[in-house]
Amino acid sequence: MKWVSQDMDMFLGAREYVDTAVLPLFPVSFGNDIKQSVAMTEFIQLLTIPLERQFKGRMIMLPGHSYLKNKSKDKLLEEAIVWEQELFDNGFKHVFFVTSDSVWKTLEDELKGDLIWLPSIPLAAMDEGARNSILEDQVKQLLQLFMQKWQDDV
Amino acid sequence: MSKHRVSRRQFLNYTLTGVGGFMAAGMLMPMVRFAVDPVLKANASGDFIPTPQKISEITEEPTRVDFSFEQQDAWYTSEVTNTAWVYKDENGEIVALSPVCKHLGCVVDWNTDKANQNRFYCPCHGGLYEKDGTNVPGTPPIAKLDVYPTQEKDGFLLLGKAKPREEA
Ligand code: FES
Repeated sequence: MKWVSQDMDMFLGAREYVDTAVLPLFPVSFGNDIKQSVAMTEFIQLLTIPLERQFKGRMIMLPGHSYLKNKSKDKLLEEAIVWEQELFDNGFKHVFFVTSDSVWKTLEDELKGDLIWLPSIPLAAMDEGARNSILEDQVKQLLQLFMQKWQDDV
Repeated sequence: MSKHRVSRRQFLNYTLTGVGGFMAAGMLMPMVRFAVDPVLKANASGDFIPTPQKISEITEEPTRVDFSFEQQDAWYTSEVTNTAWVYKDENGEIVALSPVCKHLGCVVDWNTDKANQNRFYCPCHGGLYEKDGTNVPGTPPIAKLDVYPTQEKDGFLLLGKAKPREEA
């Protein structure tokens, strides 16, 4: 389910079935890495669409958490922990962070939720055919990861 | 005289209501049309959509067919990709099922659950469907998978809008 009014009615009516929350993490920077931070955001946004579609009935896709790239790691971690705590407190059994920003790799162990890190691919430089097949591939892997985690935690 | 005045007042009342009504209609009509038009148009153009699937290559094994079309969502047009599970039944009729789980809308897969061969499986809450789309009792879904009306053109499969099935 998406964070839209229409899906919320469904969510409220079937809450016990929605055990997974997904929070995309989007870096924002106006420094030298401005383009890179855009590409990361774009890439993850693109992937979350089919992901949500596939698992509509079991997950809620949150609008995402944007943060300034020049923030210290401790601050970033602190915020992420507030997020996951809130989600766990609200009854979600699985919390996933999805991002392209590698800083989270180094923070992974401090998080209770699952981190899914996908290196962003420079899609803008590709023609549509190549882009679609790469995306399809990435989505497939992503779906696998989710199913695996669900299975492991049964 | 007094009779006259009443009828004049009535006359004025009627006229004003009439004029007011016209003005209101004049203002509202374009708004209503504006709001309704795209909906009407989308309905009119949403008939059969071509798919890349050759009719001759459809087998008895459900196969995934993806097809894209432009969807008019109110005022935006966007490219949407839909999926169908397509196969020939024992009478050689083409069947095209919607992959959208009738429980809460996840996408079902064919034959992916080891314990349930030859069934559609929903990874979200373990929903199961027989090959013909009938939901397996005891799993969350409460209805059969929707079915797409099919057509053929130049050897390719065309699909209409998926429809829920009538309860048998
Ligand atoms: S959405 Fe398919 S079983 Fe719940």
